[in-house]
Amino acid sequence: MRRRRREVIKKIANERIQILFRLAEEEFDKHPERSHRYVSLARKISMRHRVRMPKWLKRRICKGCGRFLVYGKNARVRLKNRRTCITCLECGRVMRYPYK
Amino acid sequence: MITPRNIVHHELIGLKVEVVSSTNPYLVGIKGKVVDETRNMLVVEMDGEEKKVPKDCCTFLFELDDCYVKVEGRLLVARPEDRISKKYR
Repeated sequence: MRRRRREVIKKIANERIQILFRLAEEEFDKHPERSHRYVSLARKISMRHRVRMPKWLKRRICKGCGRFLVYGKNARVRLKNRRTCITCLECGRVMRYPYK
Repeated sequence: MITPRNIVHHELIGLKVEVVSSTNPYLVGIKGKVVDETRNMLVVEMDGEEKKVPKDCCTFLFELDDCYVKVEGRLLVARPEDRISKKYR
């Protein structure tokens, strides 16, 4: 019984993370500060309930300032030395991820 | 999927909401989209204006895909990330 409840919680947490990222994407043009807030909520949910964020969503959050990254607008993506380098243009942090 | 059963645990941001009743008569009739949520407040965007509505003293009517759900605000008082695992009786 307890295990079922935990599964339900994780399922809801996953759905909420998806919803928040979708909203962050929609709101970014008009209200960027809102989309940063949504992303930080999504991160809090994933940490509190130990739900893994998928890779493509995790890379859209800046590791330095926690802001939502839209490639080409407030983030620069370059391939250098067998790594994907994502530069946050808000705080200047560079995140490097090796190719898989 | 947000259903009337799990709306208390689910995401409120992005839903359309109306304040149906409240202990503060000035809040009744506020209608719009939820844009932010804190422990005690819902921020509702109404005609481009942001209104802060306390959860505790209001009853809300949320619009889902195919139905309307009336929720007592008292049940929603918790931080958004804690609301998922909160138990109600």
